Amino acid sequence: MLVLVGIRWLAPPELTAWMTDPARDFVTLSISVIIESLPFVFLGIVLSSLVQVWLPEGFLLRRLPKNPAARRLSISLLGVLLPVCECGNVPLSRGLIMSGLTVADSMTFLFAAPIINPITIITTYQAFGWNDGILVSRIVGGLLIANLVGWIFSRHPQPETLLTPGFQEACAVDAAAPRTGRVRRTFLQFSTETSAMMPALFIGAGIAGLIQVAVSRNLLVALGSNPLWSVLALMLLAFVVAICSNVDAFFILSFGSTFLPGGIVAFLVFGPMIDVKMLALLRTTFTAKTLVQVSILIAMCAATLGLAVNFVF
Amino acid sequence: MSFSRLVSRWQGLALSLIGVVATVRLGFAGQLGLYIHPRYYVFTLIMAAIAVVLIVGAFAVVPASDDDGHGHDGHGHDRADAHDHDGHAYAVTHDGLLNGNAPSGRPRRRRRFWMLAGSAASLAVVAAAVATLLVVPPSTLTSSTVEQRSLNSSSATLGNTSAQAASTTDDTSAYTVKNWSLLMRQGVGLDYFGGRAASITGFVTPDADDPDAVFFVARFVVTCCAVDAQPVGVAVYQPGWQSSYPVDSWVSVDGTFGADPSVLSAASIVLQPDRIAAIAQPSDPYVY
Repeated sequence: MLVLVGIRWLAPPELTAWMTDPARDFVTLSISVIIESLPFVFLGIVLSSLVQVWLPEGFLLRRLPKNPAARRLSISLLGVLLPVCECGNVPLSRGLIMSGLTVADSMTFLFAAPIINPITIITTYQAFGWNDGILVSRIVGGLLIANLVGWIFSRHPQPETLLTPGFQEACAVDAAAPRTGRVRRTFLQFSTETSAMMPALFIGAGIAGLIQVAVSRNLLVALGSNPLWSVLALMLLAFVVAICSNVDAFFILSFGSTFLPGGIVAFLVFGPMIDVKMLALLRTTFTAKTLVQVSILIAMCAATLGLAVNFVF
Repeated sequence: MSFSRLVSRWQGLALSLIGVVATVRLGFAGQLGLYIHPRYYVFTLIMAAIAVVLIVGAFAVVPASDDDGHGHDGHGHDRADAHDHDGHAYAVTHDGLLNGNAPSGRPRRRRRFWMLAGSAASLAVVAAAVATLLVVPPSTLTSSTVEQRSLNSSSATLGNTSAQAASTTDDTSAYTVKNWSLLMRQGVGLDYFGGRAASITGFVTPDADDPDAVFFVARFVVTCCAVDAQPVGVAVYQPGWQSSYPVDSWVSVDGTFGADPSVLSAASIVLQPDRIAAIAQPSDPYVY
């Protein structure tokens, strides 16, 4: 650990002197994504351990309604209890699947929780109040989309094939693991989950940093005042910026009146569910095919919602 | 234990450790503000402390887990493969799972190749993490990002409160670059600005249309982390500024606002400087 702390003094300054401004900004932006997301990922892993290791077996699942639609609805509302933004929800959802929640139900939780989370609701209210129905559209739209995704994937004949083979095997191992030594199991689970999440987070942060440096934000912002293009441009912005759902409302508010409400709603609904960093994190658990299907489905729903807000209301 | 398994088993903990060491060191050096909003400092450091306990515990426990039979061995290569976004790795692992016994001949060589490739990729990620988080000195965003995110394009409503305050009180002595640029974005004109004195601090970035005579004293406004930073700035009219003040260097400028003498520049109101002083980068370079 001391070596890690002292490594900068050991490294000669010429080592980084060659870096151009875009290269420096790429590093700064990638580090920023990591430093910002890391505590949430740790929190997600801790909560996941809590569900898997420390709560009595089936504590959560037993209390859910038996009817599938009602069960998904209650799962999608579970996020109200958990102030975790999207990056923390990935390890938590993995923990829920390992504890026996179905893949489709866990997707419902995964996509609803970052929007339903209390901090997100408060910051969205602080940013927009009741203006233009943005807050209501975000909450209701987010819940609808998450439940729709859950319903569609619940009809999959072999839901386990939606998961990566690695994660399937991890589930099987977990189910067979002895239920003793909770502290030891917590440490082991931390090791397993960080093995899965950390490379994804670091790679995702690198890609997010690279896109930020490579793609000019001006064009996306310029498209924001057109009723049709604002929706698509802001969804693309949400995908690229990969900002945490807890504060994305403030971010988009800072662009002020240039954007139409429909575009803002699409940004606020699509961003927490799918973005470049989330896809890297989700890839630890779901197959690439599943992620493409989910992304297209959610993008279409979010676009429909945004266009409806712009043209109908 | 095979090399691949060794790498994939320790990669997560190594990356966690690198992230936590970087976070704590930034915290102690007072430099977390280069990356995240101050409201996250406490949360970030508390979670880093919890992570240290978990990392140390995992380091103590994980080697022992090798003895519990098949258990955690299975995690090893899968983890590496799971991140290898490559159809081959997927197919090979899947194959291995279905067959349940060791593949022979070519498949085994192929499997070995992909496992080694996965390990190399894992090591590359760890090396990149050490380089970016621990070796490269922490720094702010530069003018290159200002170009990417056009100056003063946002913030129309960022600070309504300060704009309202401006119209009711006349004390502008504490106004920052952000406050002044907000007033300009809201269409407050020369009748308000004309002859008004200001003292501002920020980094130097050239005006896009008249880079010879006009530069901006700019700051990044951060909502959550550096990723969402939006540049704001106040134009300063000073022909030949480049010879004294390099782009991205920090300055403090005292002057009075007036009409922009430059015909090329898009700015209508500029600060005409009485004094420009080069200063060191402040410890909190962003504004919130």
